Amino acid sequence: MNTGLDVGSTTAKIVRLESGIITASKVVPSHRWKELLEYGNKRDTIETIVSTGYFRRTVPHTAAITEITAASLGVRYYIPDAQVIVDVGGQDTKVIDLRNNTFLINDKCSAGTGAFLELAAHYFDIPVESLGKLHTRARRCALINNTCGVFAISEMISQLVGGYTMEEVICGIHQAFARRIAQMIPPVETLVLIGGTVLNTGIVESFESIHSSTVVVPPSPQTVNALGAALYGKKLRPEI
Amino acid sequence: MTDTVGITALIPPELVYACRHRPLDVNNVVPTSSINPRSKLCAWTAVWRDEIMEGGLDIDSLVVVAGGDCHNALVDGQKVALSGVPTHYFFYPFDRDPDYMASQLDGLAGFLGGIKNKEMFRTISGLKEKGLALDQLRVDDRARASDVFSALISFGDLQGDPAAFEEVLDTIPHTDVEYSSRVALIGVPPIYPDFHEVAESFGLHVVYDELPYEFVRLGGNDLQALAGSYRNYSFSGPITGRIEMIRQELDRRRVDGVIHYTQFACHHTLEDEIFRAHLDYPILTVQGDLPRSSSEQLKLRLEAFSEMLEVMP
Ligand code: SF4
Repeated sequence: MNTGLDVGSTTAKIVRLESGIITASKVVPSHRWKELLEYGNKRDTIETIVSTGYFRRTVPHTAAITEITAASLGVRYYIPDAQVIVDVGGQDTKVIDLRNNTFLINDKCSAGTGAFLELAAHYFDIPVESLGKLHTRARRCALINNTCGVFAISEMISQLVGGYTMEEVICGIHQAFARRIAQMIPPVETLVLIGGTVLNTGIVESFESIHSSTVVVPPSPQTVNALGAALYGKKLRPEI
Repeated sequence: MTDTVGITALIPPELVYACRHRPLDVNNVVPTSSINPRSKLCAWTAVWRDEIMEGGLDIDSLVVVAGGDCHNALVDGQKVALSGVPTHYFFYPFDRDPDYMASQLDGLAGFLGGIKNKEMFRTISGLKEKGLALDQLRVDDRARASDVFSALISFGDLQGDPAAFEEVLDTIPHTDVEYSSRVALIGVPPIYPDFHEVAESFGLHVVYDELPYEFVRLGGNDLQALAGSYRNYSFSGPITGRIEMIRQELDRRRVDGVIHYTQFACHHTLEDEIFRAHLDYPILTVQGDLPRSSSEQLKLRLEAFSEMLEVMP
């Protein structure tokens, strides 16, 4: 069995592969990563664990790889000719250009990361998961110009005071978020978005409205890196 | 009497020694300095500025490389000058004019009181031969990049004592190096003191350090020869020359990828786009700011780059 374990800054994910087929996958908050080791584990099989994510060296592993390699392998499983991957994480965002093996990581500013959306959700006192649904109810988008997470909050407030609804402001937040990341993205026809944040359809829509590229979200975008780690294990130990 | 002359970037150290002074590359104290500069653009210049002005660096005079290198150095050098340190400004010719170069070297020799010991030109040429041999040793995988880097970077001032420095060079261990990929490091040198060790720990063998290579590549046995050589200091001229030089070295040293180090608030950062457009290699750009040991973010980038070069088709 090839197991991929991705323990990131906010969530931990596991994917198990048997003969190249996904047999289990699960997501929990990072601090509960230990639960994952039990999940879908067949004790009588030989297991190769490849870890990835910020805490890849802290958790049990046969080998550890970075999220960049994990994302590249995981995405290629679904989309063999993928060119550019945008991996939106809780604390950083990575843009990986598979055409020339280069990548950029934004980790100095929260505005293009999951933390930015957490901040907005916190202001409205709603769970971050509901942002996508609220976005779909917006009839127009409030303009949020600021690319600094903290200052964007005061801009949100002035738009609310100015008459925009919460839904319209959330739509504006999503667009500001996508614009912030757009600065890192090279010109490309198809953009692959991964990471838990892109389960939010408002984010995907915002990317679509900003980019001329076609936006593709692979199945289970949140566990793609764990899948990539498991696939790397398969490279190391092809027999299991 | 031998005076210590602070230098802010590459000037021919052989000339300083020939004038019977001792050069001290003020940058060499920056990576391990604990100074948190109060006003700064680039930490390289701000830290040596404060080190000098707060008395942490014992120099008698300062030579600021003010043209063909760094505008920050020009301004911070003037701040130092205003605090009372005798200061000379040195300019490289952008158009590589040999006469202009010779006049700059003349002016520098004048500031340093004139050439008194011509023998030093030859002594230092000999040392540079050793430096070049050392550089080749790591290209041949027979010396650790971190050892070679720290030796080459010292060629700016030969650690203030050519004879003692020669002994340092002779003790660099020759050892077979194992690695997963060969990389070149271009741009200004990293402000992180452990950069080469960290790269090494991820299987990256740095077989080219652009700037330190310039330190050993340039030289000459008299003022005229120095002018002919140093006018080709790649950082001081048009970027086309630099690109050509880098291309040649990448090819000769059979590198798999390039790391471009850029420094926060340094104008050289703008060159990143040019390199990406003109060098046909995977490029990792890393940016530093204050002198610190390598951050987790930097480590992630180096590790991922190493994996990319190794794992990706
Ligand atoms: S890094 Fe750039 S700005 Fe700083 S000292 Fe060097 S050349 Fe000047």
